[in-house]
Amino acid sequence: MQPIVDWLLLGSFYAAVALGFSLVWGIMNIINLAHGVFIITGAYIAYQVATNLHLSPFLALFFSMGMLFALGWIIQYGIINRVIRGPLLVTFLLTFGLELLLTDTLQNLFTSDNRFINSTIEGAGINLGSAHISLVRFISAAIAIVLTAALAAFLSRTRLGNAILATGMDRDAARLMGIDIRQIYALTFAISAALAGAAGALLGQMQAFYPTRGELFTLRSFAIVVLGGLGTPWAVVAGGMVFAFIETFLPVVLPRVGVGYENAVAFAVFVIVLLVRPTGLFGKAFYSQ
Amino acid sequence: MPRETSSTASNSPVAGSGPASGDATTTRAGRGWLWSLLGGLVILGGIAAIPTLGSDTLTSNWTIITMYIVLAQSWNFIGGFTGYSAFGNVTFFGIGAYAVAVSFLSNPKVISPYDPQRPQQFFIGLLAGVVISAIFAFLIGLPTLRLKGHYFAIATLGTSVAVEEIVTQRDVAGSGGLASPPFPPLSLHIAFYYGFVALALVCLLLTTWLARSKFGYALVAIRENEQAAQTLGIATTWYKVGAYVLSAIPTAIAGGIYAYYSSGFEPATVFTSSISVTMVLVTFLGGSGTVLGPIIGAIIFEYASQQFALSSGQATSVFGYHFGSDTLLGVAIIIVAIALPQGLVRVVQEFTRRPVAGGAGASGNSRANQFVEGVRRVRKFIAANGI
Repeated sequence: MQPIVDWLLLGSFYAAVALGFSLVWGIMNIINLAHGVFIITGAYIAYQVATNLHLSPFLALFFSMGMLFALGWIIQYGIINRVIRGPLLVTFLLTFGLELLLTDTLQNLFTSDNRFINSTIEGAGINLGSAHISLVRFISAAIAIVLTAALAAFLSRTRLGNAILATGMDRDAARLMGIDIRQIYALTFAISAALAGAAGALLGQMQAFYPTRGELFTLRSFAIVVLGGLGTPWAVVAGGMVFAFIETFLPVVLPRVGVGYENAVAFAVFVIVLLVRPTGLFGKAFYSQ
Repeated sequence: MPRETSSTASNSPVAGSGPASGDATTTRAGRGWLWSLLGGLVILGGIAAIPTLGSDTLTSNWTIITMYIVLAQSWNFIGGFTGYSAFGNVTFFGIGAYAVAVSFLSNPKVISPYDPQRPQQFFIGLLAGVVISAIFAFLIGLPTLRLKGHYFAIATLGTSVAVEEIVTQRDVAGSGGLASPPFPPLSLHIAFYYGFVALALVCLLLTTWLARSKFGYALVAIRENEQAAQTLGIATTWYKVGAYVLSAIPTAIAGGIYAYYSSGFEPATVFTSSISVTMVLVTFLGGSGTVLGPIIGAIIFEYASQQFALSSGQATSVFGYHFGSDTLLGVAIIIVAIALPQGLVRVVQEFTRRPVAGGAGASGNSRANQFVEGVRRVRKFIAANGI
């Protein structure tokens, strides 16, 4: 029972981790290698707000989202928009440069010590039969699902969301329809960064973090998105669930491949899926609905 | 007016063929390669003369610069010519380094550092590194080179991260992969220097050959349009895997020499993505897919970063902010990606390119006019990537 509960909670959290990554990839065809460090930045902001203002970490989440929204907007509008028509490798390289820069900045500001956000409800939980559900993890999973639903509703129900989808389908046609694609790209990237910020605030309450921790989450996001496919926000949840399933149950099946091989596992999953089913488990041609 | 309309109306007859990536080199095939080769030989000759100046600091700085020349040149085979965005070539560097370390450690009978068997041990390790890297590149390349664009880039990036993790966890060459093999003290420190220079020379000749040979043309064809290349009967899979193996071998040798040069290392230093990314960055800075680009780019970037006291791992403090090596690498990447994604070599080519007779750009023959035209072309060239 306990592994199943752990799996579902972890899977929902992974959806929050990869949601923004999937959006930017689907709409702009950019692999944002700085995604992981956005998450870590979000964790640091939540940490600062929670410790200095004595707020609940779940309220601090909104500060993380707001600040990363602004950061994402500035980065896309000021930097990435300038190379978006360039070869794929250029945007890839560029986001890697941003990753290095942000990681180093975090190291300067906060040192490379481990941090952990102490939650006010630390240790509280519900016992369900033989399983124990930590309240922090449960609320985090719920927030992740709410964010996914909110993004899906925003994209399909609002004019702005439709404009984002239209730009993702055909950039030039969208421009002819009067959409300012520079603004739309900036908005898309900002939303993606805000979602990463939320994931970071959740992450900080569940595990210790440090500036260079981001790389792992970028790789995981990639594996999750590839697993789920670049279809809809809900495909990310599916991908997160599958990835969490592998991470939770692999040590049970192969005890020797446990702790310490997280990157190798993420990578192996990713390559196998790409070779067997390149569009992902629930993928579609483009980001829609 | 959107910019792409003006760029397709440029005065080159091949303008319609997508981004202006390779056409400058291919249409000017003529004797351009000869000048590039001569230029490369002159640069490498100059580098080879540096130790005669007698400054140890200078020599050791240029050892690292020459190493990056080799790394960039070998990345150019897969990334520049074939157009596959390999982001994990540091894997082969690390494999080469660990092969040498393991080779030294695997012969416990030799204890004295002056044992005559020692040098042999180094070359055995180097050879082992080359063989293992080539096989690894082949085995990894066969499935992953079927992937396109982003997928291939992440697959290679993931390879290096995964190999690093495995080396750390399996305690290769020491606990946690921390390798400090009993290397004999080399009386001739200069040997490393000329090792890298010789390797750079071999890579220069290989690149020139690629720019001129059927094999190289096939790679460029794959870069420009893989489906068309396949339709023309090019066995794309084998050419791609060949290019990947070709780029792995010099990288592994460089890693092996570096292992001896550094005398002790850990997985985090020889598998770091920063090295992979530096290879890509300097090749872009110089001009990927060109003969001279990687050499020029590596010299400029590595020299500049040494001037900022970066490559040595020291941090420079400005207004209380400590610029680590990664900060400046990051800043350099952003600047190059925005301002110079085509590389210095191509910008110079674009600047000096004569307008096609009768084309829209052929306005006047005076030097001043040509200069203004050149500047205009370069600005258009640079702005073509934005929206």
